[in-house]
Amino acid sequence: MRTILGRDVRMGPRSPFVLYALVIPILLTVLVQGIFGDLFAPEPRLDIVDEGNSSVTSQALALEGFTVTEIDDLDTMLARVEGNDADAGLYLPGGFDEEVIDGDQPELQFYVGGESLASNRIILAVTTLELIRGIEGSESPVDVLVVQLGEAGPDVSRRVLPILLMMAVAIAAGFLPAASIVQEREDRTLSALLVSPASMSDVLGAKAGFGVILALATGFMTLALNDAIAGQWWAHLFVLTVAGVMMAEVGLLLGTWAKDSNTLFAAWKGGAILLIFPAFFFLFPELPQWIAKLGPTYYFLEPAFAIANDGAGLEDVLGRLLIGVAICLALIPAVVVAGRHLERTNATG
Amino acid sequence: MSNRSGVVKAIIAKDFRLFTRDRFFLWVSIVGLVFYVALFWLLPDTVDETLKIGVTGFGSEANLGEISESDQGLELVPYEDEDALRAAVEEGDEVIVGLALPTDISDAVITVYIGSGVPESVSGAVEGIATELAYAAAGVPSPVSGTTGSEVIVLGEDRAGNQVSLQDSFKPLLAFFVLMIESMALATLVAAEVQAKTVKAISVTPATISDFLTAKTVFGTLLAFSQAVILMIAIRSLGAGPVILLTAVLLGSVLVTGFGLLAGSIGKDYVGVIFWSMAFLIPMMIPALAFLFPGSTAGWVQAMPSYGLARVMVDVSNYGAGWAEVAPYLGLLALWTLASLFAGWRVLDRKVQTL
Repeated sequence: MRTILGRDVRMGPRSPFVLYALVIPILLTVLVQGIFGDLFAPEPRLDIVDEGNSSVTSQALALEGFTVTEIDDLDTMLARVEGNDADAGLYLPGGFDEEVIDGDQPELQFYVGGESLASNRIILAVTTLELIRGIEGSESPVDVLVVQLGEAGPDVSRRVLPILLMMAVAIAAGFLPAASIVQEREDRTLSALLVSPASMSDVLGAKAGFGVILALATGFMTLALNDAIAGQWWAHLFVLTVAGVMMAEVGLLLGTWAKDSNTLFAAWKGGAILLIFPAFFFLFPELPQWIAKLGPTYYFLEPAFAIANDGAGLEDVLGRLLIGVAICLALIPAVVVAGRHLERTNATG
Repeated sequence: MSNRSGVVKAIIAKDFRLFTRDRFFLWVSIVGLVFYVALFWLLPDTVDETLKIGVTGFGSEANLGEISESDQGLELVPYEDEDALRAAVEEGDEVIVGLALPTDISDAVITVYIGSGVPESVSGAVEGIATELAYAAAGVPSPVSGTTGSEVIVLGEDRAGNQVSLQDSFKPLLAFFVLMIESMALATLVAAEVQAKTVKAISVTPATISDFLTAKTVFGTLLAFSQAVILMIAIRSLGAGPVILLTAVLLGSVLVTGFGLLAGSIGKDYVGVIFWSMAFLIPMMIPALAFLFPGSTAGWVQAMPSYGLARVMVDVSNYGAGWAEVAPYLGLLALWTLASLFAGWRVLDRKVQTL
């Protein structure tokens, strides 16, 4: 088994699928964080043209939760606002601050884009007015007491993590061993292996082992890229091992069953959703969460999410993780039967 | 001529039989389509652009009514007392921020309740609203003239209350997913013929290489186009400008077929085919992804072969554009389609010659 595993590890870098397995977590992180990070919670965007070095500009640029851009000229700003590159534009002529301080009530030149959200228009308008009040220096007639209720839940970009993790682990530990088995059959190298001292269980064990090792690498890489390695690293290791083993078993079942690459690809294309669907329930917490629990992958995704997001320890997630371990154990007989079936069909051609 | 078309039809029929004979592949194609359709209907079909603020005290309904009426995008939800408001904000179902106003606003404290997960921009704005209410109650004038309210200058078509939903934004991307997958199926089919050298066997039949290339192009286009049309019908994308959209999707189908022929010719085996298909097609998803974001697209995105397809779909289905508006993009798409088809034919032809 070690020899086959060693060969797969050595030959791995030459395979495009290993390249996919390593590159896809990076690509998906960039892509998905970009999309979901901005799509569901777009920050209000304000363009400012400042002709007189107003303090409003510096204060606006320092605002958290806004995208503020200083633009050189009015025409460019108007074009950007009209083209929805900004939600609103603020034109500050020279001497604006002085006029506000002197109480001259200068005209506010504030433009909003037709495609900007109505809520963003209000947020930007009120915020702009507050910044101008700041330079006016007048005291508020009331005190505003802010009470934060509850802890802030995970933001959307963090809720995407289970999807990214699922993709990283499924491709590395699931699809790769399956593709490797199918390719060995198509190239007839599987028959060659089986006339050597290696048994079918050695072959499958090596394929699964390679998948699990790669899944650990891509899993940790995904967590690191998403700044999600929190708390106990060994807890992450345990969770990723369970994830890798479960996916490797699925990969072995798929690889032994698929008669050729075409069937494998088609099966993966259609069946991957059954593995991935629990990950979408983290993205949409308002959906009934019991549905996610029907998917076996939930039992490593939820612990991974709890550890990464809430800083949970292994002891906190052990119950759910043990269900994942039980699923892994339950899949072993199926893999054994599939291996025997492959051995028979391979021998009979 | 009729002889040639008969030969092409025969090859297409053979490819179609191979496609349908693989029941599993057929079934999975259907599942894939169902998945994309389900994904579409799961996406939000409306844009919630209303800032809901819970309010209590200070005769809030009467005093704040003017604000909520004048500002589209702001909705004030009255609560009986501060405890009810606090509970509602904590619950987070109806409102996520709340303003507890005192009876005499000029001499007191306004409490702003911020629920969990509220963006800083929103909490800051609600604080600002509280302060402005106090200024207004105290008779302090605005530091500026003009307005930031309902009479604000709006640039471009005002789509407040009529925004493009996430569901609609995803239409081009979903269509492209289908085109991409079917292009990969074609690439696999071509590669299998190249590997098995059945394409060479054609030369001893009345069929020519040109017939083979034509048949593959037509079959690939039909495969991609038919699935894309089914998808578009299922996601109700053909309502506005159906002829323009069908034209764009047809051109898009030929475009990806060209890339499918290229990938099928270059890939040495199945893995290679997938690799090259993805190498060609994944970058072409960028324009469809770019339209998910607000704002204009970068120049390099507009130069991508699939930009015309995504642009036409967005402009027609989301903004009701007509032939005149989308003609430049259809033209661009047609040019890229010709280029990809030429490249696909040329590379596959050379591959066949070397067998």
